[in-house]
Amino acid sequence: MDLIEKLEILTDAAKYDVACTSSGIDRDAQKGKLGSTVAAGICHSFAADGRCITLLKVLQTNVCVYDCVYCVNRCSNEIARAAFKPRELADLTIGFYRRNYIEGLFLSSGVIASPDYTTELMVETLRILRDEYQFRGYIHAKAVPGASPELVGVLGHLADRMSVNMELPSQDSLRLLAPEKSKQDILRPMRQIKDSIAEDKDTRALMKRGTHYLYAKRPAKKSRAFVPAGQSTQMIVGASPESDYHILRLSASLYQNLALKRVFFSAYLPVNHDARLPAGDAVQLDREHRLYQADWLLRFYEFDVDEIITPEHPFLDPALDPKANWALNNLDSFPVEVNTAPYEMLLRVPGIGVRGAKLILRARRSATLREGEIRKLGVAYKRARFFITCNGSYAGTGVGLSREGLRAQLAAPIQGGRHGRRADRALPGQMSLFESAGAPTSRLFGSGRAPALAPAAAAAGAGGGDLDGEERCTGRIAGQARNDGVGGLGAAGWDSGTTQAGLWVKPAMTVEA
Amino acid sequence: MTAGAGTGRIAGQARNDGVGGLGELAFVFDGSLEGLLSAVFVAYAEKLDPCDIVRPENLQPRLGQAVREVATDIERALRVQKGICKNCGPSVFEAVKAASLSDDPDIGTVVYRFLRYALEKNSPRDCAACRNRARCGGLCTREHARSVLSDLVHPSVEPFVAAHRAVYNERHRIMQFLRFEQVEGGVWFAQCNPKASVVPLIMDWFASRFNTQAFMVYDEAHRLAGVYEGREWYLVKTDLVAVPERTPDELVMQQAWKRFYRTIAVESRYNPELRRQFMPKRLWKNIVEMQEDLPASTAIRRSR
Repeated sequence: MDLIEKLEILTDAAKYDVACTSSGIDRDAQKGKLGSTVAAGICHSFAADGRCITLLKVLQTNVCVYDCVYCVNRCSNEIARAAFKPRELADLTIGFYRRNYIEGLFLSSGVIASPDYTTELMVETLRILRDEYQFRGYIHAKAVPGASPELVGVLGHLADRMSVNMELPSQDSLRLLAPEKSKQDILRPMRQIKDSIAEDKDTRALMKRGTHYLYAKRPAKKSRAFVPAGQSTQMIVGASPESDYHILRLSASLYQNLALKRVFFSAYLPVNHDARLPAGDAVQLDREHRLYQADWLLRFYEFDVDEIITPEHPFLDPALDPKANWALNNLDSFPVEVNTAPYEMLLRVPGIGVRGAKLILRARRSATLREGEIRKLGVAYKRARFFITCNGSYAGTGVGLSREGLRAQLAAPIQGGRHGRRADRALPGQMSLFESAGAPTSRLFGSGRAPALAPAAAAAGAGGGDLDGEERCTGRIAGQARNDGVGGLGAAGWDSGTTQAGLWVKPAMTVEA
Repeated sequence: MTAGAGTGRIAGQARNDGVGGLGELAFVFDGSLEGLLSAVFVAYAEKLDPCDIVRPENLQPRLGQAVREVATDIERALRVQKGICKNCGPSVFEAVKAASLSDDPDIGTVVYRFLRYALEKNSPRDCAACRNRARCGGLCTREHARSVLSDLVHPSVEPFVAAHRAVYNERHRIMQFLRFEQVEGGVWFAQCNPKASVVPLIMDWFASRFNTQAFMVYDEAHRLAGVYEGREWYLVKTDLVAVPERTPDELVMQQAWKRFYRTIAVESRYNPELRRQFMPKRLWKNIVEMQEDLPASTAIRRSR
């Protein structure tokens, strides 16, 4: 089997894994070594489903001894099986990385022979990358449930982020759909990773401060930090009957107790046929979207899980985002004055995000903010105007600060694109001319806003400027090689290009004596 | 910076020279950062207040407007650089550098208006008591506690900040979507078509990340190449790049990557609008995995 075929099989088997982020750690480049990482992460491509591709997401092998009902790779499925040799995979990663295709490697695996054997294969791959290739890019490794703690420890020192899949949000569902896995099997490595991260951090802090007396004992070679970018997990939504309330409570407690960096949700996609799985092909993508919005409120907007969802209404409103929902339930705190409101309160205004709130704080130190200024600051004024006053004036008139009136203004269906399974959908409340004639109508009403929070996709802002003002060119590169003895680019063949000097050369060079 | 140094204080009294019917003036500069700063120098030195500072190709004189070509003078540009650093701090100068890379036809005016405001607002630092005096070489390294860049809603600052942000967004896109190819001779080559001339902004990033490989980034829209040969990077202005043949290994890797790209998408989540939003179509012709998705006429990458 050639490499490309193998890559296809093992990618196909890995694509249902949600996490594909390269975030959480800054590591500068070093002379003579390949790669660096940046805490915000970089998406290098976007697949046809709009999800970002930042890491080479593959399985070490898709051979698996387990028989989890929802999984493509379950042992009772008859699919092509393959496995990467550690060196093969390391070479491929380096090849992709040097072409700027990826930020690093996301390595997961089916369980071949035993969890320990599988982990050893993964460790070998990462060891080749880190030690032989001196690779400083990002590596996300998935802990195999049931692997021995020592091996998880070794893996953690080679990877930047680790994750253990929760798979399903409750013990009962797990027993039903993933009979070989138990809650304890999953939580044990998560706890171990959390404890090791904390321990490693403490040790490093002490070493740095020099509070120990035994300088001679400091190791000559710097040891690698244990999972410096933290750990994450993912769970499948919609394969089992848990409510949003249950799922959000669980993820909030994971953030609190296990110090997780991310909890990913994955709408259940039917890939297998089994009586224990939900029938039909209703994918709960909208539900997943709302769960991510709620997750963002927990992580970036200083919301408490009880403010987002209550046991009386255990599912998130599909027509209204959770932040607007909170605002409608707490109308007594609004409107707020943008010129004086504290940051925490600005964050709670629908239409003002983290960036908008920070810009408001910066801008209002030197100017009074009125409507015109607020509109310039990256705030969704159309939504925010019902909840703010600008220098004392309120612009949300005509609707009234009431729950029903505002709900009609803020309700918006999730835009799932004009193609695929979320396309055929009319906007609620909109009349159709042709409905009675039985003609398809909904495609007419496709456009609208794009989803605000695409999972695991870094948003890039709008570019500016037109494509004109090209500079006229002076130099010309002919086909001949400039033989400057450097090799390398001499062969690429430049001739006499004019070097653009001036202010772009390093600051040290512009300094006058 | 002596004669021109205090010019920041004269801003309020800037006058027009009375040329032309309505007394308006346009400066034409060569499009480079040095040219733009030279124009700023002339405006201060001759106490003029041009209402447009434009590149020749964007010049559209207003009714009765006088046009003046400003020669690029590196000495004057350096003086303005020192003045900005001394008055407003180095980060403001870095922002001016980046914003001036924008393709916006108004960018010269935007930067000029911003500098007028910034230089008027901040008085020059007193160097007498500064500890860095011996080392700074005239380029002040001290930051202001309250930068003019924070006056986000001021009419002179807001367009400048927007232009600066647009340039950095474009820089980020190139960091995301640049694709290197290995060509004969152990060299890596990448081509891009950004909306702003961001190659000077990305070279540090790639030269440190890929410091083990000699490479060249060519911006076909601005005809500018960034070259890294293992030590320092430099820029070359050029019309034509003759790239050697790709290595055999390169084609295998490209095929593997394309196959990976096709496979990783989940069919039941198909959403091309979302993809296009994150990965603009104008960049596809230089993204190796997207070239097949383009109509045949535009997919021709470059003639070898």
